[in-house]
Amino acid sequence: MEERKAYSQDGVLAHLEMLEAQAHELALKQEEKEQQEEKLAGLKARVQELRARRDELRAKLELQQKRLLENGGAETHPEQPSARAVLEWKIKSVKALLQLFYLTGISGKLTKRGVCFCISTAYEGTYLESYYLDVLTKPEVQIQRHSVPIFIPLEQIAKKYLQTDIRRFLSVLSDHLNAYAARRYQADQLQERFSDRLEGTLQRNSLCNLLVFHYNVPSDGRSFLFTARLLYADPCCSLPTEAIVSCTPDAPAALAEVAAAHSDAFRRVALHKAFDSFSKAEETQDEALISPPGSPQ
Amino acid sequence: MENSTYKVYEDEIQLLEEEIKLLAEKYDDVKQESTFYSNEEILTSIKLFQREFQGESKGQECPSDLKAQLESLEREISFLMKFTGIQFTSHSKKTLEKNENRTVQKHRLSGNCRSLPFQLEFQLLETRNKENVSAVITDLSIVMESGEYSDLSKFVSSTEEHGNLLLFFRSLSSYAEWYEHRRCTFLHFKAKYPDIVALPEGQLGDYIILRNPKLSGFELMIVWKIHIDEEGRTTPVLDLLTKVPEQVLEQKMGPIENAPTCFRSMLLLFGIETTIENLIKVTGLEK
Repeated sequence: MEERKAYSQDGVLAHLEMLEAQAHELALKQEEKEQQEEKLAGLKARVQELRARRDELRAKLELQQKRLLENGGAETHPEQPSARAVLEWKIKSVKALLQLFYLTGISGKLTKRGVCFCISTAYEGTYLESYYLDVLTKPEVQIQRHSVPIFIPLEQIAKKYLQTDIRRFLSVLSDHLNAYAARRYQADQLQERFSDRLEGTLQRNSLCNLLVFHYNVPSDGRSFLFTARLLYADPCCSLPTEAIVSCTPDAPAALAEVAAAHSDAFRRVALHKAFDSFSKAEETQDEALISPPGSPQ
Repeated sequence: MENSTYKVYEDEIQLLEEEIKLLAEKYDDVKQESTFYSNEEILTSIKLFQREFQGESKGQECPSDLKAQLESLEREISFLMKFTGIQFTSHSKKTLEKNENRTVQKHRLSGNCRSLPFQLEFQLLETRNKENVSAVITDLSIVMESGEYSDLSKFVSSTEEHGNLLLFFRSLSSYAEWYEHRRCTFLHFKAKYPDIVALPEGQLGDYIILRNPKLSGFELMIVWKIHIDEEGRTTPVLDLLTKVPEQVLEQKMGPIENAPTCFRSMLLLFGIETTIENLIKVTGLEK
């Protein structure tokens, strides 16, 4: 029935249109398919190309390693190296040495009007922040720009040494900066590694030379709150000059000894190391309670 | 569905590109680190290089650029070494591990800090994160010709233990300055008062002897040690020792016993040079 309808005048046109549309759609789909296949083929080819290059490099490296082993670790020049290659080697070599200079604590770069110094700070083997000073040498020695924090007495130090002995100036400034970096590092380590023992937040000032914090001390199965107030009066020192440790009033008298021991520890060793030693001491205390010395294991 | 197929290939492409970059870098690193050219070879190359490209540029990096680059770098490092007093005489490194965020290198560095030679070996771990690069030193080994620098050995082992490379350099600089100062001071007085001043251990020793050529048996020994604590703080420590013949000792016990204390007060009041000079003058007096 419906087919007969399609054979009327309008029906034929409509039918033709429909066929045209279908053909168009098919063409589009065909084009899309071809594009997709092309793209896929392109990607596959790229992967092949990269794999080949990767394998080539791997082989090159293996050969290089083999040659090195045969020559005892030093590359002997198989062909006479070009002058350019030698120069490029030397340039890379000097650059590497320049890059290492920051490890010594004071490095810098020559600028058009002077020198840009870089003071490195570190705590034991970990290098921390670096501070920069753009120093002009003409008409007189002056600091044009710097990244030293304001709580470091830069102006005082500059007034004393900058004009007469710039090395001394940098050395004194480095002492201040390194001591500050070390104090900050210790406080950070305490917060990071002993957060479970700390109660509340660690209070500190920007120069990190005044710290106040509360921490838990276990004793006889109970936990007591200690308060510590550390004052670092020497700005070039990373150990406190004063360490006041107190326990809560309800704490047993025996804990006063522990507080004194802690105060002593804080003044002698770095903050996080002091806490390490507390943990160890408490562990051995616990072990002693569980299996007292002299009892059969 | 098609998209996921693309993604598989695109991911692999990205991985391969990264791997290729790392492999190429590794090859270059190994090449750089296992090669060594002496200074003569480098000078010859510079001359050759200039001759090869006389008048030609061929679109490559202009020959004067490479030479200028090298000269500029050498000027920089020469300035730094002169300014800090830390001269590096040899350096070799080996890249042990390298990927996008981590590099581990083993370094061997020798040099001297003013006149004090040192040899270092350490591992440097550099980690890259979004904001900056952090560096950590491990396996630090420091060799200093000890014996002469016995004050230093305790400090050196402590810094080695904690990997404290920065502290080592900072403190060594300060120690080296005092060392130089002591040496110059001793030499100065030896030159100025050759009859009175003796340096039994030479200018690098840590004491001088003052004696009056006309009075035998009477000697003053000034010991000047440079103390360096574990935090790297350097302090000069001076002491006076007297050697007096027995007869004089019986007569003038008082002043001789007090001598070391007086010496220390003088040091505080007048400083090292003036104190030593005063003692020399006193020794030279006819008594």
